[in-house]
Amino acid sequence: MDFELTSEHLLFRESVASFVKKEHSFNRLRALKGDPWGYSRDVWKKMAELGWMGLIYPEEYGGLGLDFTFVMVLLEEFGRGLLPEPWISTVLLGGNLVLAGGTEAQKEEIIPAIVAGDLFVTVAYLEDGGRYDLNFCATSARQKNGGFSLSGRKIFVLDGCSADRFIVTARTSGDISDADGLTLFIISRGASGVEITPLKTMDGRNACILDLKDASVSESDIIGKQDDGYPLLADIIDQATAGVCAEMVGGMDASLEMTVRHLSERVQFGRPIGSFQTLQHKAADMFIQKELAASATYYAVASIDEKTEERSLAVSTAKTKCSSAYLEVTKTAMQLFGAMGFTNEADIGFFLKRAKVTEVLFGDADYHLARVATMKGY
Amino acid sequence: MNVSYSQDEQRFQEEVRKWFRENAPAEIIDQTLGGSTLDPDLQIKWHKTLFEKGWAAPEFPREMGGAGFSETEQFIFHYEYSLSGAPRPKTKFISLGMLAPILLQFGTKEQQERFIPDMISGKTVWCQGFSETEAGSDLASLKTKASLEGNEFIVNGQKTWTSMADHADWMFMLVRTDSSGKKQEGISFLLVDMKSPGITIRPIEALTDHAPFCEVFFDNVRVPRENLVGKINEGWKITGTLLEHERLDASAMGELVYAIETVRKNAAKTIFRGKPLLQDEVFRKKLAALEVDCDSLLYAFFRILSQLKIGAAPGPGSSFLKVYGGELYQRVLDLNLEAIGPYAQSWYNIEGLGNSVHQATMGWINSRSLTTWGGSSEIQRTIIATRILNLPRK
Ligand SMILES: Cc1cc2nc3c(=O)[nH]c(=O)nc-3n(C[C@H](O)[C@H](O)[C@H](O)COP(=O)(O)OP(=O)(O)OC[C@H]3O[C@@H](n4cnc5c(N)ncnc54)[C@H](O)[C@@H]3O)c2cc1C
Repeated sequence: MDFELTSEHLLFRESVASFVKKEHSFNRLRALKGDPWGYSRDVWKKMAELGWMGLIYPEEYGGLGLDFTFVMVLLEEFGRGLLPEPWISTVLLGGNLVLAGGTEAQKEEIIPAIVAGDLFVTVAYLEDGGRYDLNFCATSARQKNGGFSLSGRKIFVLDGCSADRFIVTARTSGDISDADGLTLFIISRGASGVEITPLKTMDGRNACILDLKDASVSESDIIGKQDDGYPLLADIIDQATAGVCAEMVGGMDASLEMTVRHLSERVQFGRPIGSFQTLQHKAADMFIQKELAASATYYAVASIDEKTEERSLAVSTAKTKCSSAYLEVTKTAMQLFGAMGFTNEADIGFFLKRAKVTEVLFGDADYHLARVATMKGY
Repeated sequence: MNVSYSQDEQRFQEEVRKWFRENAPAEIIDQTLGGSTLDPDLQIKWHKTLFEKGWAAPEFPREMGGAGFSETEQFIFHYEYSLSGAPRPKTKFISLGMLAPILLQFGTKEQQERFIPDMISGKTVWCQGFSETEAGSDLASLKTKASLEGNEFIVNGQKTWTSMADHADWMFMLVRTDSSGKKQEGISFLLVDMKSPGITIRPIEALTDHAPFCEVFFDNVRVPRENLVGKINEGWKITGTLLEHERLDASAMGELVYAIETVRKNAAKTIFRGKPLLQDEVFRKKLAALEVDCDSLLYAFFRILSQLKIGAAPGPGSSFLKVYGGELYQRVLDLNLEAIGPYAQSWYNIEGLGNSVHQATMGWINSRSLTTWGGSSEIQRTIIATRILNLPRK
């Protein structure tokens, strides 16, 4: 058992932190608020030049082949600064899914392009009526002309407004909530029968509704095996969930730090408000929540690195904890900032909004709690 | 003690329900969760509609333009009003909810006659100039100065977080008229015409992306002496009473009931594992727990309201309604957002996803301020501990 980071991890943390400091600010988030994408291609390119798109991909596809703990370090720092670039969707979901189940041809086409920072890929699996369930799928894939024709609607596709490729789940057999019978297809943004309705999320980022109306795909667009996409998808979503937990931990850390600074500087009744015991206790509770969330996340990340059998349980434990803790921490922070916290002029509000979005991303606390109960056998 | 409505009261309830159903304009229904983000012009228009019906001021006597309702009728009125989904205009809340009772208690006859009818009709919009950058919870440390020169006060300084300042005709404000003694002792209560030369207003954008409040700057603003409420340097006493009114109103019972109703509707529409979320065992219990809290608060509210007479101060008991009501409201909107699942991350996508989603996310953000304005939850708990429970202050 070892929860410590290696010197390589720590060195990497420093370089990510200094990148975020140099290339990013909360004013950039303010400036990007009205932007349909909510991030910048320039910053994305610079990240690619540093090799971060290939962080966990094998060297044969241009990657660095590093362990999953590097993902945690990277995303914690992104979370501290709330860097809006779509690393989770493109690298951790899209590319990772191709890597895990794709054919050699698919990997060669997609992964080096992601590594170069030239291609955005995301995964579309959520549907109306399914809440967060990965297996709920009404989108159908019918055989047609030697290929398939896809019809259905996906909602809240992460970073879907800017994605070049979508990996969508579609039902090739089985009932609406079966795990069996799901197939993963790659489909391009411009393909006929693909309609995109842009959505803005609370934190200023983008998502989309993806409508598929008789969209044609060929057999070579399947990732993994026909009817057997679910285990592949579930594993990659677990990894992305652990990633988003790391981001949440970074966000909690930054929120607490800002709040402590505010409590020390803001004077009311002739003394810093941080000297009032009620507020000290609130800050202490924020700290406790953050520590628990961080520890659960570290455990989940280590489980993914080691590919332990319980990694899904570890991920659900971490996400349950992070979902509630991040909201608790940011709501308390808002309260302690008083009216100032309620304005767009203060930075703390960005964290509250991100906390809400990440709370529901890949399933909220209740969803993961139910998974915990099931995996624990009751 | 009597908890049932009489036949007359039941008839009255029917009448109110029917009127709101028929008269609340579609454009303002369902715009209210978490404090109004409703366009101020629509608020003002709606206030005037209520006035034409004679219902703008349920608590005030008919001869002043009020509705002259009994205590029970007031309760029924507010309850039915809120359940219709129509917003309570902030215009009304600031002027009639806070200032009017103060003028009745401390104002001159001229002030009452000059200002109250226009508040009731919605002709004048008021804002509350209390907070300053360095004087938030510690309100008494305010610095905005007013010095008496002949028959005029000359006001200099700055207020902040002033709700609706950019739409207001008048402000009631606290100013420092003496800085020699204890900080509470040199404060006066002034009524200021917002069109006076020397006033500059800067709207401040909130997390909702609306600008519900402003910074207001005063540069040698002249205020006639007759606009002083009460005696000079005795504004603090008045303020205490006013804040009790603000807190009582802030607990906004009917809105809470309406919010719970909204959660129920959203959870009935949301399908989860093949059936409505409302039938999910975990969700049902969460909602029921909130209903129990809400109903208990409702009865507490009713008890305090039935002790109230017009002009009488609610007392520190109002603090518990404010703090619990605000926090409960936040919990209700938390659950509302939980009910809509992945849609909870949405922002401003009214067209694609429907207004209930927009209201849920906007209302949730908005509700975060409920535990700050009108005295934060921490300050209210201190009031309960020291003034009701008489715990030692140091
Ligand atoms: C939406 C909104 C509308 C508003 N509208 C108006 C308006 O129209 N007119 C107006 O005058 N003001 C208005 N306000 C201001 C409001 O009254 C103040 O925000 C409030 O009094 C708190 O002051 P502050 O924001 O400076 O917070 P601070 O006083 O800085 O408080 C920060 C934190 O410290 C805590 N704290 C402070 N002192 C103590 C203590 N002694 N013990 C324990 N905890 C403490 C607070 O509870 C809070 O959590 C509005 C505020 C909001 C958010």
